[in-house]
Amino acid sequence: MTLLITAVSLIGGFIIAVPAALVRINRVPVLSQIASAYVTVIRGTPMLMHLFLIYYGLPILIDSVSRKLNLGFTSVSIPIVYFVFVAFSLTAGAYMTEVIRAGIQAVDRGQVEAAYSVGMTPVQTFKRIVLPQALAVSLLNLSSEVIGMLHGTTLAFTVSITEINGRANIVASTNWKFFEAYIAAALMFWGLTVLIERVTARIEKKINTFNRGGVA
Amino acid sequence: MIEIRNITKTFGRQEVLKGIDLTVEKGEVVVILGPSGSGKTTLLRCLNFLEKPDDGTVNISGEQVNCKRPTKQEIHSLRKKTAMVFQHYNLFKHKTVLENVMEGLIIVRKLDRVEARVKSIEVLEKVGLGDKLDMYPSQLSGGQQQRVGIARALALEPEVILFDEPTSALDPELVGEVLSVIRKIAAEGITMIVVTHEMGFARDVSNHVVFMDGGVIVEEGKPNEIFRSPKEERTKQFLKRITPELTYDI
Ligand SMILES: Nc1ncnc2c1ncn2[C@@H]1O[C@H](COP(=O)(O)OP(=O)(O)OP(=O)(O)O)[C@@H](O)[C@H]1O
Ligand SMILES: [Mg+2]
Repeated sequence: MTLLITAVSLIGGFIIAVPAALVRINRVPVLSQIASAYVTVIRGTPMLMHLFLIYYGLPILIDSVSRKLNLGFTSVSIPIVYFVFVAFSLTAGAYMTEVIRAGIQAVDRGQVEAAYSVGMTPVQTFKRIVLPQALAVSLLNLSSEVIGMLHGTTLAFTVSITEINGRANIVASTNWKFFEAYIAAALMFWGLTVLIERVTARIEKKINTFNRGGVA
Repeated sequence: MIEIRNITKTFGRQEVLKGIDLTVEKGEVVVILGPSGSGKTTLLRCLNFLEKPDDGTVNISGEQVNCKRPTKQEIHSLRKKTAMVFQHYNLFKHKTVLENVMEGLIIVRKLDRVEARVKSIEVLEKVGLGDKLDMYPSQLSGGQQQRVGIARALALEPEVILFDEPTSALDPELVGEVLSVIRKIAAEGITMIVVTHEMGFARDVSNHVVFMDGGVIVEEGKPNEIFRSPKEERTKQFLKRITPELTYDI
């Protein structure tokens, strides 16, 4: 579950982050301001708050829209985990926007012009020339993002547990078994973190071959 | 054939190109000379719309583009007919030498990978880099990188290759290898427009010399005419400064 939530929110975050970063770099009117506000607000508030806002706020919104349009559909039928996906994608998206924006800006303009001069379209240029290098530049930051999200998924239990136990007090149910489970979970997180760091180091080594001596 | 009519370009309040007319025949090597800031780079970049000219027309092998309102398709098609070699090489840093050359063949010319590979290796051998296919640009000398830049342009078989000071970022001892590659492809009848300060190269290789100053073409003609008996005072001054050893001719 942890892995699924991490994966989905990172992919969701990525899908939000790339257009948001582009909109900010190209200073698209209105959209650029929206993206910038989104990034500032999300980064300025804790992850747990996003989760609660989406978990308690989104259903109200969905229900009122559904009622207005007579869709005969209520938010109760949506599994909790979907709200977690939305909330964490929004969180990840904001952090990734900044990382990817910095990465894109690190790719020199000359290569973009070279791609155009060869006859590539702006979309081809972005996908094949700019984005791969931007991701390479952002790698370290993205990897800490992945780890952050992984650890952040623990917060998801705050909503599901409240749900399952009918708002029972979590602390009350703490016993030794619970503690053991926590230690096991902690070890698992640690293992995954080490794994991610290893993978990052491997990719980094590869990137270093083409960056040797370069500034990027 | 390339025909440029009345190209103008203004940056802010500064008029950088004040109505340039130029005709380049197929197979011709045209060298553009001129002091720094005269608009040489801007003129080249207007030909493939890396800069959008304010006004004028560009015609490359029958495709006429009105610079005031070019469509995306027109710009794209001009770019497919031209290729550019940059002062700072501008190679794709995350791709190997071979991939740098193959990229345009696969993505733009739509060759399949095998054809693109064969063609790229052939061109890279021509510029003397047949043994560097799998290196990354950062592992090469400046001269080698620029030869990759030339191979990338050459492989596309464009109507014209635009060179913007291809040797001016190189250490002096590397200039020769790049110039000799350009000479070689010039001899094959590839149409080229070359901005350079290499007077020897301009004199020996070009069919036509254009002298620009202050956003206009001051004088143009056969290399012999321009170098031995320039008519305009500004051309004389410029040549005197840049090639003192030639001044006794003037
Ligand atoms: N993107 C730009 N924005 C504003 N001004 C520019 C821009 N590009 C060029 N210029 C100005 O236009 C003028 C002509 O520049 P250009 O680069 O075409 O000259 P050049 O003849 O190539 O000079 P050099 O020999 O130094 O390369 C210069 O004064 C330059 O400052
Ligand atoms: Mg220049």
